[in-house]
Amino acid sequence: MKVLVAAKRVVDYNVNIRVLSDNTGVDLNNVKMSLNPFDEIAIEEAVRLREAGTAEEVIVVSVGTSACQEQIRTALALGADRGILVETDEDMQPLAIAKVLKAIVDKEQPSLVIAGKQAIDGDNSQTGQMLAALAGLGQATFASQLVMGDGEATVTREVDGGAETITVKLPAILTTDLRLNEPRYASLPNIMKAKKKPIDVYTPEDLGVDVTPRVKTLKVEPPASRKAGIIVESVEELVDKLRNEAKVIS
Amino acid sequence: MLAQLREIVGHHNVTTEASDLEHFGQDWTRFFKPAPMAIIFPKNTEQVVQIVKLANQQKLALVPSGGRTGLSGGAVAERGELVVSFDKMNQVLSFDETDRTVTVQAGVITANLQTLAMSKGLYYPVDFASSGSSQIGGNIATNAGGIKVLRYGLSRDWVAGLTVVTGAGEHLQLNQGLVKNATGYDLRHLFIGSEGTLGLITEATIRLTRSPPTLKVVLLAVPAMTDTISILRTFDDRVDLSAFEFFSDQALDHVIRHNSIPLPFAVRASYYVLLEYEVKATPDDVAALDAFESCVTAGWVVDGIVGESEQQNRSLWKYRESISESITRHMPYKNDVAVRVSQVPGFLAQVQEKVESAYPEFEIIWFGHIGDGNLHLNILKPESWSAVAFKKECELVSEQIMSIVAAYQGSVSAEHGVGLLKKEQLHFSRSPEEIEIMVRLKDVFDPNGIMNPGKLLPGIS
Repeated sequence: MKVLVAAKRVVDYNVNIRVLSDNTGVDLNNVKMSLNPFDEIAIEEAVRLREAGTAEEVIVVSVGTSACQEQIRTALALGADRGILVETDEDMQPLAIAKVLKAIVDKEQPSLVIAGKQAIDGDNSQTGQMLAALAGLGQATFASQLVMGDGEATVTREVDGGAETITVKLPAILTTDLRLNEPRYASLPNIMKAKKKPIDVYTPEDLGVDVTPRVKTLKVEPPASRKAGIIVESVEELVDKLRNEAKVIS
Repeated sequence: MLAQLREIVGHHNVTTEASDLEHFGQDWTRFFKPAPMAIIFPKNTEQVVQIVKLANQQKLALVPSGGRTGLSGGAVAERGELVVSFDKMNQVLSFDETDRTVTVQAGVITANLQTLAMSKGLYYPVDFASSGSSQIGGNIATNAGGIKVLRYGLSRDWVAGLTVVTGAGEHLQLNQGLVKNATGYDLRHLFIGSEGTLGLITEATIRLTRSPPTLKVVLLAVPAMTDTISILRTFDDRVDLSAFEFFSDQALDHVIRHNSIPLPFAVRASYYVLLEYEVKATPDDVAALDAFESCVTAGWVVDGIVGESEQQNRSLWKYRESISESITRHMPYKNDVAVRVSQVPGFLAQVQEKVESAYPEFEIIWFGHIGDGNLHLNILKPESWSAVAFKKECELVSEQIMSIVAAYQGSVSAEHGVGLLKKEQLHFSRSPEEIEIMVRLKDVFDPNGIMNPGKLLPGIS
């Protein structure tokens, strides 16, 4: 069985995001970039399937600038077998990425595609779902548990107010939630070995995909800043403020 | 007396509650019984001046108290002293973008200064496990080091100016943020590391620097402790290291049990090295891999992992940074010694031989900032031993360890200060003449001997 994993290069989760002064986007200059944390979970799950003997090959695909090679190399060090970079300098939006992934699915015919439930930069949570629709495959989103069966997968999904367990026929699209697994560290011996693993590079044109952005960003603004707190001198003052200023008690 | 103190700082800012006396009367050492007369919370330098003047009139001993994360008893008040807490002197006074300096009151918490620097697009590089509690004043009074010393130096290197109140009640402004100032004795540096024995630091002007580039964190599995310096050299030749730490498998064991976190490697090693390097461009990663390969080929390292995100970097640091916290409940006897980096392998071998024969029944935890030649050797108290008997036994063997330190011309306290715990060992690192001059210096600043008496200098109380 072949597993395809999507890996997006995003601003590191722990970086303090700064909005550009002209409000056109966020400042990406000299900012630490990492794998999308949900995609790390996707890679870990695929590698575990490989280690359990369920999967024979794990292919990692990233869509974006040539810098995405770094994230592909990380995935290869974590245990993926080979990489695909679809290289473009275009602003890649979810629909375009889903179309590119659809072309790769057609090419590679994987039994399972695993992607993060969302990327932490755009927070769209659309790519996996749109890929399922475009490819005509079943989808199991927000997975917190995956059990592979014969020609099908049983997936526990994180839904509002609890968990839902479903089965999907393979091939299928799976998107990962936080509780699915705990990703491992890349080992240095594996990073050295990963240098020899192949990465195929395509352009969207090679795959016959039009990636022109459909959504126009009008304005990016930082969230409103919180007012500083004050220290009250006495209980009476606190009660007074709660009653007359905050109006949370009567 | 209490009434006079309350007149200076206001009624709410003096406490004699038993729980406060215990809380503010000690640091992280647990060998001493706190017994201060009261705790006072001044809000500015002027109030501190008045407190010190009153203390001189009344012959009242003062103990300064910052975040109380010290490990040598420097902030312990066990003989009815007045504790001067800087908790309410926590204001940032000014920031200068061109000078890249920030002036703060002494009670500002280290982590808050780091956050402030970050919000200005700058960086305060002095960092250690206790940065969430420790205060700038305490850091300066102990010349605190920590985990970035290798790249950025000690607290001392970042102090551009100090406001202090001497033991005689004089209000001094030292150096005032100047880069160059060749005008005689730099009294600022006397106060750095003085542990509150000369006076009280009330404000500090701190230098900031530009933010570091991307950092990569690597954890290495190392079979032999004495190879750590070879590993240091191999990496230091190829990349810009910002930290180089080591710890033993026993230390790791306490960390994973205390924090319920997984083991970093499938196969355990006897020792681990945690290093951090700066990545300015891709070739830095290639150079680090090359260093790793060299270390593996030489047999110094058997495995290694690397953080691929800031989150993973933090998780890797946790293996090193939570050691102290994870062994605190075993009432560790802490040795904090240093030798020149080149002397580390020989020194480690001798100390290891000594403690293994001297402490067969004690659990020894090895860790430290080995890239700075600094070793934290912690001895854990077995359940069955009383604290008093345990400390006594440790002191006996400590004398022998300190003899080795002295033979290597090392330091008996690399970054924990001297306080109460190490003062009888001071003579292993400082000559009688040097100690005599230190005593005379104290006399100049603190003629009535009210400033943190009994700390740092042996034989004075």
